[in-house]
Amino acid sequence: MSVGAALFYIFIFPGLLFLLLWTFFIFYFARKTLAYVHKRVGPHFNGPAGSLQTVWDVFKLLTKESITPKSADPYLFNIIPILTPLVAALPVILIPWTPLINHGHGILDTNYGVLGLVVLIGVEPFLLFLTGFGSHNKYSFLGGMRILSQMISMEAPFFLAALSPALLFGSMNLYDIMYSNTYLTTLILLPGAIIFIIAMLGILEQPPFHIPDAEQEIVYGFYTEYAGTNYVLLKFAEFTEMLVVSAAAVTLFFGGYRGWGFDSFLWLFIKIVLLGILMVAIRASNPRLRLDQMLKFTWSWLTPLAILNLVWIIFAKLYILGV
Amino acid sequence: MDKIKDILNKYETEYVEDYKSNWVKAKFKNKEDLLNIVKDLKEAGVKTCSTVSPTDFIDDDKIEVNYFLENLKDKKNVWLKVDLPRDLETCEIDSITPLMPSADWHELEAYSTYGVKFKNHPNLRYFLISRDYYGKFPFRKDFDWKEHEKNLIENVNSISEEFFEEYEENEETFDKDGSRTVLHWGPTHPASGPIRLKVYVNGENIEKIDADIGYVWRALENLAERKDFIGTIVAVERICFMDNPNPMICYSQAVEEIAGKEITPFAKFMRVILGETGRIASHLISMGGFFGTMGLQTFLMWCLDIREYFLDVLEDYSGARIATACVEPGGVRYPLNDYKAWFETLNKAINEWERVKGDIEDIFLKNPLMVSRAKDNGIFTKDDVEEFYLAGPIARASGFKTDVRIDEPYAGYGELDMDYVTCENGDAKDRLYIIVKEVDQAIDLIKQSMKKIEQGVEAGEMNPAKDHLVRMPRRMPAGEAVARVEWARGEMLMHLVTMDKSTSPYRLKLRAPSVNHTMVLDKLISGKTLSDIPLLYGSMHICQGDLDR
Repeated sequence: MSVGAALFYIFIFPGLLFLLLWTFFIFYFARKTLAYVHKRVGPHFNGPAGSLQTVWDVFKLLTKESITPKSADPYLFNIIPILTPLVAALPVILIPWTPLINHGHGILDTNYGVLGLVVLIGVEPFLLFLTGFGSHNKYSFLGGMRILSQMISMEAPFFLAALSPALLFGSMNLYDIMYSNTYLTTLILLPGAIIFIIAMLGILEQPPFHIPDAEQEIVYGFYTEYAGTNYVLLKFAEFTEMLVVSAAAVTLFFGGYRGWGFDSFLWLFIKIVLLGILMVAIRASNPRLRLDQMLKFTWSWLTPLAILNLVWIIFAKLYILGV
Repeated sequence: MDKIKDILNKYETEYVEDYKSNWVKAKFKNKEDLLNIVKDLKEAGVKTCSTVSPTDFIDDDKIEVNYFLENLKDKKNVWLKVDLPRDLETCEIDSITPLMPSADWHELEAYSTYGVKFKNHPNLRYFLISRDYYGKFPFRKDFDWKEHEKNLIENVNSISEEFFEEYEENEETFDKDGSRTVLHWGPTHPASGPIRLKVYVNGENIEKIDADIGYVWRALENLAERKDFIGTIVAVERICFMDNPNPMICYSQAVEEIAGKEITPFAKFMRVILGETGRIASHLISMGGFFGTMGLQTFLMWCLDIREYFLDVLEDYSGARIATACVEPGGVRYPLNDYKAWFETLNKAINEWERVKGDIEDIFLKNPLMVSRAKDNGIFTKDDVEEFYLAGPIARASGFKTDVRIDEPYAGYGELDMDYVTCENGDAKDRLYIIVKEVDQAIDLIKQSMKKIEQGVEAGEMNPAKDHLVRMPRRMPAGEAVARVEWARGEMLMHLVTMDKSTSPYRLKLRAPSVNHTMVLDKLISGKTLSDIPLLYGSMHICQGDLDR
């Protein structure tokens, strides 16, 4: 890899600039679609159809003062918002984004792609727990505890569901998985995909699992003390994680950037946006679950189902695909 | 009725008389008798205390305490009076809270504002008022508000000092290494409104809830005393904006009773329409807010959208959407020159509700996640209703048949066809469903009243352009009256006292249901987890406006 290519990957695509643009886009997109369901207008004044509103919002927050509360641990409080977006952006190098980069492989073409993805996605919430811990605020700490318990219970079905394509195709290489996928295998993987998407909602703290930052209960959870630049960085990490996890779902279960007629980044993007619409639809129609209900749901339904799904995958591999 | 009179006649009384159709009014001489009377009445079925209302007669050097006791099952109510000396040292009476827990906060309020001491009250303390009023008893006639407001800075400082003292006290009480602490839920909290719940938690489990109220205390009862009889409606309607016309109807009835005037049939049915429109506007917010407490804003937005149509109705009539001031003593404020056009606006609003109703039921009311959280959560039994006097929708959700519109018909309700709407279980889910049912009932009542008005105009009995108001005297005779209405959140009771040839109320007690609904929060939420606070709090449909007044 040449220096120029490395710089391009880091700063332009799929690095910083791409992630920033994605943040602006998904922020705007979620607000606008949610507003449509709410019978509101949503962002309206800045740019065509309010599209620049989120850009101004982000820059407004960047110019605001970052306040470190007296009682907080200043080191932990300020280092975590820098670490979180970095960790959230790491899995980007594993995902095959477009046929134009590295002959269609991910930037880092490894045989342990699935494992890398799951581990790097799984680290993120522990950093968020540390934000709550470092804030030394009752609400933040409760939010941190909630995120920890949610994560421990969601990670098991998430990992088991991510394992199903690897088991079916006998490879952990994301490129191989993507290209082995056919219409038939997509159908076989569908139960796994559904479990993956449900666990993904939990990992991304999306409704109905937005328990860690439940506004009505614990103010804003682990975000409570954050303002200005630190807050933007945490939000940036959240949206980056959203992109990475949805891209992982598409790559693992729905054929990544492959599409009808031609293979392109466009297909990947369309699939991610469809997942985003699904998330907004769930957000717009479902209230939040209680923490104990979530625990009961994941441990007594989702995890056993994820294990059953593995049994089904092996059965399908032996008798349907006949390997 | 006779049974109650027999009980009261056993004691030394100045008078025992019938009042309205289902009240017995009595004044007893010895304040020591109170506990025995209340005990006897409780055995006779009068189990609930609606409110305690002191009146300060400074010229006679006495404070008269009024007890409004109700039998919610048989609808036979008792109005007890007793005189106390005005002097702060001896102004003392036995507390009825151990017998009737529903009197708890009402006694605290009487103590804080009038200085009536209640002996043996479980926790007598200053309440509702902020610290700068402690020990000054602001509703007494000799309290100088102007003098008090001169020391503005000290007053504000004393309020903030109270918070710091409390903070330091908490620091000492709670062990730093333990998992027990106190969380403040409000007053600047996304779901609370201006109220502060001190939530004593152990991790996520709630041990106790202590409500700190008074953040929007505007001393409306005192404000009313400074205005004339028409001007008071502006103070009264500010109890709570969500259901605006009903408090004015209540106040107007009290004034009309003292003046001895009867309003026209047209005004009666107009009051029904306006009151029910206000009820729908309030219920739509309550419904949406219920889901808002669980982090789902869509339903709130939809409800606000429908509510706009009902606010259009109020705007077309009065020119204002929220603070309408549309009902005044003697009838309703404005004539209807073109009643058909107004009915069209009404029909438009009703059609909008009926159009969206199917979607609402399918998407939100049957939502499995909502049902899984709200079902069998926070149950109130019928006994709880009597013990704590839960009013209106909350009582009816438990299957308790109580509704002032039927028990003591006012305005045009006596001539309309209506029945109690109830649910069975009394859990949080039923407290949502009852509200949807009541919106349907309200729409039915509006349709009936519209028909009555149309028939009346066709028969030549009503003239919407002229009949709206009966002339009221500018100066009132001496007297007192109690008026009740079924407000959106429950029974509203107003106790009005006037002096001879007065131009403004001498005393106006406002009794609103949210006080009791907040009082039971501790019983309702203790032992649950943090996630249940917003849900159960939202299910009680509390409005801080009528909580603090």
